[in-house]
Amino acid sequence: MIELKDITKEYSSNGAHIVRALKGINLSVKEGELVVLRGASGSGKSTILSLIAALSKPTTGEVVVDGERVSKLQDNFASEYRRETIGFVFQRYNLIPTLSVKENIILPLIPINLDAKELEDRLFRVLKMFHIEHKKEQLVKNLSGGEQQRVAIARANINNPKIILADEPTANLDEKLSLHFIEMLRELKLQGKTIIIATHDPLFFNLDFVDRVFEIHQGEII
Amino acid sequence: MRSRVNFYIVEYAINSLIRQKYKTFFVVLVLSTLVFLLASLFFITNSIKYELSATVNSLPEIIVQKTKAGRHYDIDVSAVDEILDIAGVESVSARVWGYYYFENAGVNFTLVGIDEYEEQYKNSFKSAVQKLNFKTSSMLVGIGVKKIMRNNYYKEYFNFIKPDGKLKKMNIGGEFSADTELESNDVMLMSKDDAREIFDIDESKATDIVVRVANVNEIATVASKIKRLHPDSRVITKDNLKISYQNIFDYKSGVFLSFFTISLFTFFIIIYDKISGLSSEQKREIGILKAIGWRVDDVLREKFYEGLIISLFSYIVGIILAFAFVYIFNAPLMQSIFLGYSKLKTTFELPFVFDIQTLALIFFLSVPIYIAATIIPSWRSATIEADEVMR
Ligand SMILES: Nc1ncnc2c1ncn2[C@@H]1O[C@H](COP(=O)(O)OP(=O)(O)OP(=O)(O)O)[C@@H](O)[C@H]1O
Ligand SMILES: [Mg+2]
Repeated sequence: MIELKDITKEYSSNGAHIVRALKGINLSVKEGELVVLRGASGSGKSTILSLIAALSKPTTGEVVVDGERVSKLQDNFASEYRRETIGFVFQRYNLIPTLSVKENIILPLIPINLDAKELEDRLFRVLKMFHIEHKKEQLVKNLSGGEQQRVAIARANINNPKIILADEPTANLDEKLSLHFIEMLRELKLQGKTIIIATHDPLFFNLDFVDRVFEIHQGEII
Repeated sequence: MRSRVNFYIVEYAINSLIRQKYKTFFVVLVLSTLVFLLASLFFITNSIKYELSATVNSLPEIIVQKTKAGRHYDIDVSAVDEILDIAGVESVSARVWGYYYFENAGVNFTLVGIDEYEEQYKNSFKSAVQKLNFKTSSMLVGIGVKKIMRNNYYKEYFNFIKPDGKLKKMNIGGEFSADTELESNDVMLMSKDDAREIFDIDESKATDIVVRVANVNEIATVASKIKRLHPDSRVITKDNLKISYQNIFDYKSGVFLSFFTISLFTFFIIIYDKISGLSSEQKREIGILKAIGWRVDDVLREKFYEGLIISLFSYIVGIILAFAFVYIFNAPLMQSIFLGYSKLKTTFELPFVFDIQTLALIFFLSVPIYIAATIIPSWRSATIEADEVMR
């Protein structure tokens, strides 16, 4: 279960000027739910995702995931929390362009020092699941946008996380690829993952397997 | 678990160096060049130090020179017997030697006269006496001299120009070698009579007199006795000589020191440059790694391996090159900086001196410093909030 309690988030861009990105967010997402955060550009969707992933800390309020106050985690524990619990599909994918598909996907597992067999098994599983096996030796920078996104999703799933966060997953995809992505989501939902998607793509608003849609407007849920 | 070496991280580090191949190449080039320079300088210094101390040890205990108006004059051979009477003196010999300037090559040779039946004041002369033909005018020459002679087409003989302008033809009878090359390199060894003729020194005179003293503790006493006997002489003891040899060398190590400083300075410029910033791609990569679950220490470990691999590799390359340069090729160009005092423009075989301290010093000047310079900026980058990658 993910709970956001009275969250505010302020950014002070170059000193004096303060941006109030979130203004008192209360949100709770149950295990296995698929939730969509919709809202215009700048409304605060990405900020919410980064707080849940403990990539940043709220100005006030707290984020609790499975009983743990992740907003209070010290840096190294926040990393471990991400490694164990979160699969994040970033808006810009955040792949390392000069590494191969395979190397990008196993990145989250490197610090864990798994044995080679286990690593290979996990890699093979996600390569198959997200249909990117045939490109595994290619450099990411030589892939198309859709392929890069599949690599990003594969990487987000290599640690078999309970929670998947996706930021504008269809922003760079055409309709066919977007539908393909939705199929992958359905698959993940069936596996029982908790999924939160930040998007303003209407494709997501009427899907049968989406549990709830929250409208974010200028840092508030309406 | 944590203590086990994580080879995935090592592999990632190697991969990362390969991905940045131009940068890696540049760093290896600069770093190994610096290690090479430093190591070569150190190796040469060690070799020369070794040669010098060997040379100094083979010096006679006391040298007596005659002076007049503060200048060095030929001494009367008769003084030999007087000195021999002093208690504690083991042997005394009159030396005939001097420098001969060879204009064609612009170098000075050291001419040394020896006597067939005299007790030799240097060990190296003992075997030379067997080799040298005293019946004809011939001489033995050091390796350096030999090379210069050959380059100037003097293979069998050499013509000296005497002070009166006439020529003195000397056969080159063989090679003269001593324990240290410093000692023999620029030497021409011949009979005292020939040396006298070339320098125009009368038979009753000698260049100086060397005195061997049996007991080291008596050197000072004997020296003062000689001084009393010959107030117009300069009495030089081994200790005095040591100091002047050391002085020559100290001046050279000044040159060395400036080289050393320049190398270090260059190195620190690179380090400073590294510390002052990562490229935006490098920062982004660190951000990504953190966002997907790497801890700060995972990132730093990876950077540590990068720094270790690249600097250790450069260190080894630099050291190997320096070994080859100094001990196989005899440090062309560089050794002339150190050997200016023997105005002989010729190469000099550097003796192999293995000194683990030197290797350790260069190691500590390069590897840990470079690693630190790799880690520090990454550490700064890795400890900022990870949501940078969201944008
Ligand atoms: N690091 C930051 N420094 C300053 N302001 C920031 C920072 N990150 C976000 N903001 C601001 O906070 C507000 C919310 O940003 P956020 O990225 O959460 O919006 P979003 O809903 O994801 O928008 P988009 O649909 O464009 O991705 C915006 O006004 C944005 O400019
Ligand atoms: Mg956003």
